[in-house]
Amino acid sequence: MVLLSVEFNNTIVPSSFGAWHGHVCGQRVLSVIAGPARTLMPFRRWRATVSYRILLAARVALAVLALPTLGARVAQSAEQSQARSSPLVSTEWLEANLADPKLRIVEVSVEPGVYERGHVPGAQNVVWHTDLVETVSRDIAGPEKFAALVRRLGIDRDTTVVLYGDNNNWFAAWGAWVFAQYGLVDNVKLLDGGRKKWEADKRPLETRSPDVAASRFPVTPVSSAQRARLADVLAVARKERNEAILDIRSPDEFSGKVIAPPGIQELAIRAGHIPGSVNVPWAKAVNPDGTIKPVAELKKLYAEAGIDGSKPVITSCRIGERSSHSWFVLSRILGYPVRNYDGSWTEYGNTVGVPVVNLAGTVWTGK
Amino acid sequence: MSVSPLANAGAPRPQAGRVPVPLRALFAGLIGAGLLFAAWYLSGEPGSGRLALSLTFGTAFGFVLQRARFCFLCLWRDLIDRGDPRGALGILAALAVGTVGYGVVLGAWLPDPGGPRLAPDAHIGPVGPVLALAGAVFGSGMAISGSCIGAHLYRLGEGSPTAPFALVGTALGFVLGFVSWNTLYLTSISEAPVLWLPRYLGYAGSLVLTLGVLAALALPLLRRLPPAVTMAPRRVDPLRAVFAERWPTWIGGLAVGAIGTLAYLRVGPLGVTAEIGGRSRQAAATLGLLPERLEGLDGFRGCATAIRDAVLTPNGLFVAGLVIASFAAALAAGEFRPARPTRNQAARGLLGGLLLGWGAMTGLGCSVGTLLSGIMAGAVSGWVFGAAMFAGLTATLFVGRRLRLLP
Repeated sequence: MVLLSVEFNNTIVPSSFGAWHGHVCGQRVLSVIAGPARTLMPFRRWRATVSYRILLAARVALAVLALPTLGARVAQSAEQSQARSSPLVSTEWLEANLADPKLRIVEVSVEPGVYERGHVPGAQNVVWHTDLVETVSRDIAGPEKFAALVRRLGIDRDTTVVLYGDNNNWFAAWGAWVFAQYGLVDNVKLLDGGRKKWEADKRPLETRSPDVAASRFPVTPVSSAQRARLADVLAVARKERNEAILDIRSPDEFSGKVIAPPGIQELAIRAGHIPGSVNVPWAKAVNPDGTIKPVAELKKLYAEAGIDGSKPVITSCRIGERSSHSWFVLSRILGYPVRNYDGSWTEYGNTVGVPVVNLAGTVWTGK
Repeated sequence: MSVSPLANAGAPRPQAGRVPVPLRALFAGLIGAGLLFAAWYLSGEPGSGRLALSLTFGTAFGFVLQRARFCFLCLWRDLIDRGDPRGALGILAALAVGTVGYGVVLGAWLPDPGGPRLAPDAHIGPVGPVLALAGAVFGSGMAISGSCIGAHLYRLGEGSPTAPFALVGTALGFVLGFVSWNTLYLTSISEAPVLWLPRYLGYAGSLVLTLGVLAALALPLLRRLPPAVTMAPRRVDPLRAVFAERWPTWIGGLAVGAIGTLAYLRVGPLGVTAEIGGRSRQAAATLGLLPERLEGLDGFRGCATAIRDAVLTPNGLFVAGLVIASFAAALAAGEFRPARPTRNQAARGLLGGLLLGWGAMTGLGCSVGTLLSGIMAGAVSGWVFGAAMFAGLTATLFVGRRLRLLP
């Protein structure tokens, strides 16, 4: 006779194999212990008849056959249930689930060599500059390129993926936005606080790269539901469409005092912002330790700028990568209808014949 | 003070006994403790782990360079002037150890080198005529100023009268390099291929080829080793051996190879010009001397000269650790000999420094960043720069001596 003891939220609950499925769903399972059990009342009555014995023997045989896959199923179920409830996972949760073979952890950092010199154990590397974009034309990675990437990462449609990176998860959030355009939405999470929080927590890093079996992710057409184009933004700017534009750049960029942050070469010909857009810098959604603020605070923050989910939102910045962070907060955490405008100011500010607001009064005068 | 006569040939003997040994040792020990304390303090500051490590590696590098007299020009002159190959063998030892060490690290970081990606931030530069010109000009600067940039830095710690002028010249040379960059980039560098041996040969093939070439260079040198001096057996005092007597260059070479590997593993490839170049670029940009944009420059590997936005940078601390550790080592060994510079030394330092700076800027690194770190990583650019550097150095020495301008 084989029984299972499954630990639910630190309470050990014994259960027979016949009943395990109903117990596990929706619960956080921490450990599974198999062993003989002679104490459960119902089974004593069942022993009385031979037919029950046969039934039981069959059950046990099935259970023993299922045993090797059970641990993985329980862990998978637990990981999915915990992670499914939130688009963010904590550093604590991730460390506790590092051994889960179904979990894929992916680092998307912008600084080269950061991943190689130490990453979350088991994490794989994605290079923002080359893996997630087309390198000749300006676009996100095309269907073939994206499918090849996620196959290499061993990611299927139902795989739970945790993305994290340096620079406050900017590029990890960009990664989540690209993944979402190929239908990988709810199973893609961000590590709350990113690399910075993981390191600040003094959690372990490793330098080895994991070996992952490739997946069979199909070449999928890109969905336009997550992405705003120049025409969409222009329609809002010209008040032909009732949507909100959230510009998450710094106040100086928004006002037109500067065209881009210091040290940035990719500029626009004009400074300022898209008419009708509101300015909430991305960093306002983040606590000092890099974690994202609680839902109530976020709702209040954006509601003060007139964004409350009642109408569609377009997020925008300079090249669409900082705004991916706010896209993630608004769409995945608050559940608002949001699209990210990756053309952003480097497209809009360079476009001929579009309306521009320049609060700073910097106008093109030549020399 | 006993110093190996051959290793110290050409330099005046230290004026032993001027400052008592215990006092010198105490002072050097205090400096060493100060460096360690600074690294320890930095390691506790959030986000400063790389700074602390850079300071530590710089300290170790400066100590090794000073103790082993790891100076490309000195070692080359030993070979061509006196037929003593021991210094050159030390450089080959450094390259061999570093090549193996890099191989171990790279195999873990980028298991398949055959794809379009290069090893993360390894110094693998474009190979073309400009690189060869940069190497030759850099070698010429070495001959004129009396050292490469790395050696000027450790000699600064020894009180060299030439080093300060050479380093000022280097900074100015960098500015000249930046001014000429766009022309060189548009006419040649933009079309120069970035060649990385493991991409074509795999790690094993690259390792075999590099070690094979190093062995082929070492074999004829090994035949020319001077006969061993038979000495009466004596008790070796470890403290004297480490802190007072010159190290054989091969020991320095092994240490340089090991430090190069460890620095690459934890912080980045060894290099001594990123900070000088970055600060020169910042100053020149402020003074309006630079073109608005340096085409393609920041996309290349090598000693990055991107403008600094922080007071403390990893390479700045590496160089600071190098100079201060060399000072402490020289002090302990009685080799700190400051001297008032002569006009000749100042002129040679400035002119040679200009050439060093121009060569290091257009070659995207110097004898440390491009030659050592490049060859260790399997970059063809390291070999081309190295060959051109020794050619330029030899030619300049030959001509300079004919004209009685160089010793």
